[in-house]
Amino acid sequence: MSIGIGLFLFVFAGMFDYDLELSEHVYTGEGLIWMFVAIIITSIGMFVFWRQDLSFDGTYEPLATGSPFRNIQIRKVGMFVFLMSEMMVFTSLFSTYMRYRLGLRRCDDVFADGLFDPVTNPTGWQEAVPVTCFEPASHLIASSWWHLAPGAVNTFALIISSFTIVQALRYAKKTDIDEELRRRRVTMFLGTTWVLAILFLTLKMVEWFVGFYIPDLGFIHEHEIKSLVAEGYTIGADHYQHHSYVDEATGAHMTANIRVSASTFYVTTGTHGAHVAGGIIGLTYMTYKAWRGGYTPTNAVSIEYFGLYWHFVDLVWVIVFPFFYLY
Amino acid sequence: MRKGNLSRAMMALSLVIGVLLLAPLASSLPTGIGGSSIQTAGCNCHNSVADSSVAANIEGFPEEYNASETYELTISFDGGPSQPGNINLGGFNLWASEGVFTPTDGLTSLWAGSVNEVVHTEAGNDYTSWVVDWTAPESGKEVDFILHVNSVNGDGLQTGQLDQWNRGTFTIQSSFGLVGEVIPEAPEPFVVLATLILISLALIAVTILYGFYRSDPDGFSWDTFSPWISDWLTTTDHKKIGTLYFLAGLFFLGIGGIMALFIRVQLATPGNDFLTQDQYNQFFTLHGTTMIFLAAMPLINGFANWMVPLQIGAPDLAMPRLNAMSFWLQPVGALLIFTGVFSGQGADTGWTGYAPYVVDMVNGHDGNTFWAAGQIMLVASSTLTGINFLTTIAVMRAEGMGWMQMPLFTWSILIANLMLFLSIPAFGVGLIQVYLDRVIGTAFYDVGAGGDPLLWSHLFWYFGHPEVYVVIVPAFGVISEVLATSSRRSIFGYKSMVFALAGIGVVAFIVYGHHMFTSGMSPVLRFVTMVTTMLVAVPTGIKIFNWLKTMHGGSLVYRTHTLWALGFLVTFTLGGISGMFFPSIAMDTHLHESYFVVAHFHYVLVGGTVFGFFAAIYYWYPKMTGRMMDERLGTLHFLTAFISYNGVFWPMHRLGVWGMARRHHTYFISTDDFANLPPEAADWNLFISVSAFLFFLSNFIMVANMVISYLRGAKAPADPWGGWSFEWMTASPPPTPSFGRYVDGEWYDLPVLRDANEHVTTEPGMFTRWFSRLMVPDDSNEEVSH
Repeated sequence: MSIGIGLFLFVFAGMFDYDLELSEHVYTGEGLIWMFVAIIITSIGMFVFWRQDLSFDGTYEPLATGSPFRNIQIRKVGMFVFLMSEMMVFTSLFSTYMRYRLGLRRCDDVFADGLFDPVTNPTGWQEAVPVTCFEPASHLIASSWWHLAPGAVNTFALIISSFTIVQALRYAKKTDIDEELRRRRVTMFLGTTWVLAILFLTLKMVEWFVGFYIPDLGFIHEHEIKSLVAEGYTIGADHYQHHSYVDEATGAHMTANIRVSASTFYVTTGTHGAHVAGGIIGLTYMTYKAWRGGYTPTNAVSIEYFGLYWHFVDLVWVIVFPFFYLY
Repeated sequence: MRKGNLSRAMMALSLVIGVLLLAPLASSLPTGIGGSSIQTAGCNCHNSVADSSVAANIEGFPEEYNASETYELTISFDGGPSQPGNINLGGFNLWASEGVFTPTDGLTSLWAGSVNEVVHTEAGNDYTSWVVDWTAPESGKEVDFILHVNSVNGDGLQTGQLDQWNRGTFTIQSSFGLVGEVIPEAPEPFVVLATLILISLALIAVTILYGFYRSDPDGFSWDTFSPWISDWLTTTDHKKIGTLYFLAGLFFLGIGGIMALFIRVQLATPGNDFLTQDQYNQFFTLHGTTMIFLAAMPLINGFANWMVPLQIGAPDLAMPRLNAMSFWLQPVGALLIFTGVFSGQGADTGWTGYAPYVVDMVNGHDGNTFWAAGQIMLVASSTLTGINFLTTIAVMRAEGMGWMQMPLFTWSILIANLMLFLSIPAFGVGLIQVYLDRVIGTAFYDVGAGGDPLLWSHLFWYFGHPEVYVVIVPAFGVISEVLATSSRRSIFGYKSMVFALAGIGVVAFIVYGHHMFTSGMSPVLRFVTMVTTMLVAVPTGIKIFNWLKTMHGGSLVYRTHTLWALGFLVTFTLGGISGMFFPSIAMDTHLHESYFVVAHFHYVLVGGTVFGFFAAIYYWYPKMTGRMMDERLGTLHFLTAFISYNGVFWPMHRLGVWGMARRHHTYFISTDDFANLPPEAADWNLFISVSAFLFFLSNFIMVANMVISYLRGAKAPADPWGGWSFEWMTASPPPTPSFGRYVDGEWYDLPVLRDANEHVTTEPGMFTRWFSRLMVPDDSNEEVSH
């Protein structure tokens, strides 16, 4: 039954082994093949896990026997407990962000008033000597509507996907429609959720790595929006230059060491992105199962559990977005 | 039958071969090659041939060398194709087994920075003799020299004659003969450790095979063995997973103990050099990590897996497959953490992994990355375990069992998992940050980029302090069960016990600042954590008082588990009292990072958790295996272990007050120097080391007891001790599923609380007269807990 688990764990070792090959902060490509092996073994483990669920028809959904939760599905309680720990994960990430956001001075202020940290920059600002300060990603992102566009679209994509997953659940539980209609509706809504999740990650990649170009359409002026990485906002950015950081007296560019700010930004939003990616893997399977007509009014629970998780991911984004993108 | 014999022989043979292969494998670690290949493989100077016509010479050797004296050696050669007037003439490589070379001019230089190997430089290529200074070693009997000279045909290959080389070996005696300190060839400690680990694994494999063989000697073949072993490897039954956890925990307890012994050997005498400083760092890091995460936690999880479903009358845990997953994440995580042992580059930051050292790519070992990776897996495992137990206890209690009817062990597991569950994500996130810092170069803890090492301390101790309660609280649960059963009454003050547990669970989250008193945090926060930390003593004191009152009101039966529970009471109370020194800031500043701290947390972690779980082993072993344990061996184990344990950790208090620093490679004694320890410290340290060996060995009595009892012990009845929680109502060992039948998606015949109540009136009924005669009338608090 759970041979998959035995495989599943070796996976993890494989994946970590690979990453550890990169102990230098340079991508060498060494051990890439082992990562593929690890991913394949993970997939086998997950496949074994899900193979048993594919035929699951909701008959054996275990119910609680203990008093305060009597007759509530056990797995639903488990899901809520799991979300509790997820909450702590993001709380910890936010603590990190708060500590650096409140503990370091904003680069804007530092460059504006010319007061430098007496410890790290005792001599005050000099050309080519970077100032250690906090540069929130929002300074770039919220600098124009176009920069903000991917994040804004993402926000709506996630909110809409929360709606579609509920619709999928609603149709799966509807008893007054025939089976074929239910199958098509559930597949459609789960598929929409899947598409929106993919859209989310795609726009994230655009915003991080690719950037985009808006041609001159008459009513819209020409824009070339560079990605965050192209703007130099990276975890290795110890000589970061924002376009507004120009010393008015000398005209020289003021540079900042923003590795900490970039790390908090990328790791927090990246963790959220990883949650979305995990959701996509789940959704892919669920859409397939829905397409096979696997969800019936008695067996809509996995949509419900997934919906709980998905709402949570959505909720986290609703908090991440203002903190990291707007302010 | 013949087939069976053949495969049995094959299996034995493959086992022997396996062990033989593994043992030398562990001893052939790369320990650095430097320039030594030249001594064995010959000259690597040019593509040339060895020729006897080239003669290597060294002049300036003394008859016998004096310690630390410097001699001028003249190296030269004759013969070969080297002709005066050619562009290049020759070169050399001189290696000495001991001593230090000092190049005197630009013609020679040290080879690859090693002081015992000297070679010619590019400028020295034009000579046939060179001069170098050699300083003799301080000790030793003799020194070997190996000289390679290379006679070069430096005329641009006009004559076509190849270069030639030859080797000369020289040995000089020391003037002081054997008087000097002779250091025997010591094996690399990591090699010893790795060998011990592999040998224990092999021994476990042999034991498993033998146990299986004994169960059915005739039907022993691969065909019957493979389904049996794969059943164990893929099981989702809470009892089997519990056993796996338990065995893994015991195994790592042994490994952690071996590391502790290494540390104690190093500290046995002042100024000892058994372990290098670098090795010592790795040993105490891995000792702490192993003991907390790989020994204590699996032991707890083992008993929790076994007993929680039985105690609440559930057929299994809520999510059996997740349960299997959370177990199997542990060995893989352990493998990652131990990668450093096998490569000699283990984590060296202490179990706390303090930043910024843990993200230091230059001075810190690569093992730190592996350490973080392995810990991330253990965090994932703990999270899954937490989900499982919280859900199980919340929703799967038997009919009629409300929160306030749960056995205290179940309560303690609930509280422990709640604490663990709410705190470990912070640790996980911190580890991910460290991991990313080390792997892809983020800057969370990079001080140069504005990163804050204290953030790690906060994230770590926000987890770390609840974590130490996570490992002690289940021991509280065990002791509550054991003492109540041994006193033949219900626990005194059940409700206050539950609220004390819950109180510890709440307070755990607001005290962690006391680990950082010396970090320069704000005085206000220090004061707050001082007060909250002192508050911890209140619920703990309530528990100890309740245990004493339970014994006072009952009539105690001195079984082995009772002895361990009493031992727990003594040692844990002592550990708790020494713990009350630390919240007071002034005291803490003095005792910080001293052996007083070491003594304190070993008194609560070994005297508390480990003793508690020894009691659990003796208490639940009959339930788990269906065999009784030997009481005489158990008592012997208790006496030896309890005495030697106190011999190890009690003197550490004194050493700590003297100022012996924790995590330091060694210490020095003197009578007049204030900075050093007094001379008695050396005696105490030797005493501690000897006791540590005794303590380590005494625990093998328990292992032997377990093995012997498993094979030959008397059959255990369902309720050998007269306990009356649910686990004593099913057979020993329990069937699978433990309770009830599963028909058409519904459970039938699960126990209800009424069963336990009936059980109380029937089974322990024979004690009723004893109760009425021996019990001190207890009218104030007559709780019916079960």
